[in-house]
Amino acid sequence: MQRLLVLFFLATAANLAAAQSWPAKPLRLVAPYAAGGPIDISARQLAAKLQDSLGQPVVVENRPGAGGNIGVDLIAKGPADGYSLVMSAIATLAINPSLYPGLPYDPIKDLRHVTLLVQVPNVLIVTNELPAKNVKELITLAKQRPGKLDFGSGSTGSTGHLAGEMFKMMTGTFMVHIPYKGSAPALADMMAGRIHLMFDNLASALPSIKSDKVRALATTTKARSSFLPELPTLDEAGLKGFDMSTWWGVSMAAKTPQPIVERLSAEILKAMDAPDMKERLRNMGSEAPTIRTAEQFTSFVASELKIYTELVRRSGAKAD
Amino acid sequence: MEGILGNLLIGFIEVFKLQAVTFSGITMTLPFNIIMCLIGCLLGTLIGVLPGIGPVATIAMLLPVTFNLSPIAALIMLAGIYYGAQYGGSTTAILINIPGESSSVVTCLEGYQMARQGRAGPALATAAIASFFAGCVSTLVIALFAPPLAEVALKFGPAEYTSLMVLGLVAATVLASGSLIKAIAMVVLGLLLGLVGTDGNSGVLRFAFGISELADGIGFVTVAMGMFGICEIIANLEQKENREVFTKSVGKLMPSKEDFKRMVAPILRGTVLGSALGILPGGGALLASFASYTLEKKVSKYSHEFGKGAIEGVAGPESANNAGAQTSFIPLLTLGIPSNAVMALMIGAMMIQGIAPGPQVMTERPQLFWGMIASMWLGNLMLVILNLPLIGMWIKLLTVPYRYLYPSILLFMAIGVFSISNQPFDCLLMACFGLFGYVCVKLGCEPAPLILGFILGPLMEENLRRAMLLSRGDPWVFISPSKPISMGFIIASVLLLVIVALPGLRKKRKEVFVEET
Repeated sequence: MQRLLVLFFLATAANLAAAQSWPAKPLRLVAPYAAGGPIDISARQLAAKLQDSLGQPVVVENRPGAGGNIGVDLIAKGPADGYSLVMSAIATLAINPSLYPGLPYDPIKDLRHVTLLVQVPNVLIVTNELPAKNVKELITLAKQRPGKLDFGSGSTGSTGHLAGEMFKMMTGTFMVHIPYKGSAPALADMMAGRIHLMFDNLASALPSIKSDKVRALATTTKARSSFLPELPTLDEAGLKGFDMSTWWGVSMAAKTPQPIVERLSAEILKAMDAPDMKERLRNMGSEAPTIRTAEQFTSFVASELKIYTELVRRSGAKAD
Repeated sequence: MEGILGNLLIGFIEVFKLQAVTFSGITMTLPFNIIMCLIGCLLGTLIGVLPGIGPVATIAMLLPVTFNLSPIAALIMLAGIYYGAQYGGSTTAILINIPGESSSVVTCLEGYQMARQGRAGPALATAAIASFFAGCVSTLVIALFAPPLAEVALKFGPAEYTSLMVLGLVAATVLASGSLIKAIAMVVLGLLLGLVGTDGNSGVLRFAFGISELADGIGFVTVAMGMFGICEIIANLEQKENREVFTKSVGKLMPSKEDFKRMVAPILRGTVLGSALGILPGGGALLASFASYTLEKKVSKYSHEFGKGAIEGVAGPESANNAGAQTSFIPLLTLGIPSNAVMALMIGAMMIQGIAPGPQVMTERPQLFWGMIASMWLGNLMLVILNLPLIGMWIKLLTVPYRYLYPSILLFMAIGVFSISNQPFDCLLMACFGLFGYVCVKLGCEPAPLILGFILGPLMEENLRRAMLLSRGDPWVFISPSKPISMGFIIASVLLLVIVALPGLRKKRKEVFVEET
């Protein structure tokens, strides 16, 4: 017993010592997507900020593949020494676990979620030729022409796709999902009138909405977006409880010492609150997240995981 | 017209504007934008020359640097990297048969043959001149016609793309200088390789054999570096005597009068093709260089020289790919739609600066829009001034002994392939493709049709399935009168097939083949 206590004490001491001298070497921040996407860009912005405040280089490493799973798995299975971080997102934490059978990591047990960085609403947009001017008319139209309306999305299992499935379920309508490779080509096809609607990320849809190339009908979050304050939410338009957004943040290996997580969380929040960083995150369509602490983020991940597991199961989307 | 000239003037003033720049405490007045353009072009040339390291990785790494620049300076520099890399990519293609960029695959075909005949200098000069001319013309095209051309790009839906790809694949067989059957076999093999990875519609993994690194398919750079680069190294090490021929007469740098005469028409045709296809999002610029090669091979008086170092086969595709690279800015600047990975990065760079890319950029920020266009023209000028004197130096590379040259090329290729997704697996895969490429060479099968099949296959599949989804499974959608563009491509493909299949022509192809062996 005594020996155990000593061991425990030693371990805690070592832990504490490690946390106190942290960071003693460069940190790596894995971006599990190809360079240039919004997640990669925000990773690089965050790295530049953390580098200054931590006094150690923060190296962004792109490890794309399997919808982000490869990069997240790398950190989940990697050393929990506090030097390995990953940009985790709704796809890798909430959607992929039910979309991909045999996901190599558990988003709750294998990872420690540090800070939610960005939360962007999706926007329901329709092609200008569609007669529906609001959500109600769209539902009526979809009911009159079952299976005739097409909705595009960036990929199978994307938030845009699942928001469409959620919309179909809540309204009892049937529309055909047309997957694209990224939302830009889908948006182009919508401007040309080849597809009828899509639930696109606010940041990517905003320029087309502002220049009247497409028509926005509603946002998918519970609160209105400050970018389009006149636009109603789906919740207001009668789809009670509809609340979906695209989000991403920073996670680490599950066994990372608590003091390091706390310190890092504080540093990231400080970086996010800096005026220039705030401005850049806002340029991605993100409102300042209300979820701030590591605990809030962790419980948010758990609740999102539950919602999307159910949604993927009911919509029949599956990648195997 | 006057409006356009006025706009271009705004652009030039913006590019040459003197700015007070504070650099480590010292404030200087400099034409900062033009300096950024020069830096971009230099960097672009450098990474273009290094095999395997592409503009996407470079621009991504440089994004944080642009946070503190003005939007115009940032975009000018990034654009410079992009077209600088297009320039540099043709250098490695000509000298060592390694396509640095997907669009320089075609340049390998004739350019490398020219180099083997000791005409590397004229080949490099031709590439530089052709690119410069095409760059100038397409910059004007952007300035004059950007908005209406963007509307044309929107006319291309899944059905139109599918038909265009069909035409491209049929034309791919023309790329081979040898046996037709082998060319078709290589195209089909390329299509199969393109299927590896996650299926876009259902998310099912195909041909991945449980290897998670294959989940996103095989990378283009991996295949190209293996099939061209490594394979070339193995093949060269096999024969010792060849080397002397290679380096004997490298003295002559500039094209002869005869060369200039022969390159004029291909450059003009290539520029038109490139400017037209470049506006199509998704592989337009790449298709342009293939299309130009096919066209030149068909119309040239010297078509018998193709495969053996025809200067038309360098001039045409080089002008086409540069024109395409420039006009691919049109969908970005006017619609906010990126046409390739580099353009997607440019959108990222614009968004960081708080600029939403789209049609409003031209009216709300004329300085930025026209400044960028003016910088493109100036950048092209810089590149030609930079590159022509460099030709002498590049050619000296050919005299570097194999024992130094090849290990360094291998190293750079490995770094380049690794840098794309940081996976050691990709380097192994590249080595496998190198061995496979060597087997192909021994069997007389050429890699270019395989590469084209590999690139076009996934694009065609994606668009075919999307078109079928949209038409609810009706195959007539590709030749319905409501889609005249698609119908035109299909008719052209059938015609081309008939021409290829005509017995007389087939005999002619065989003769060419016999001559070669």
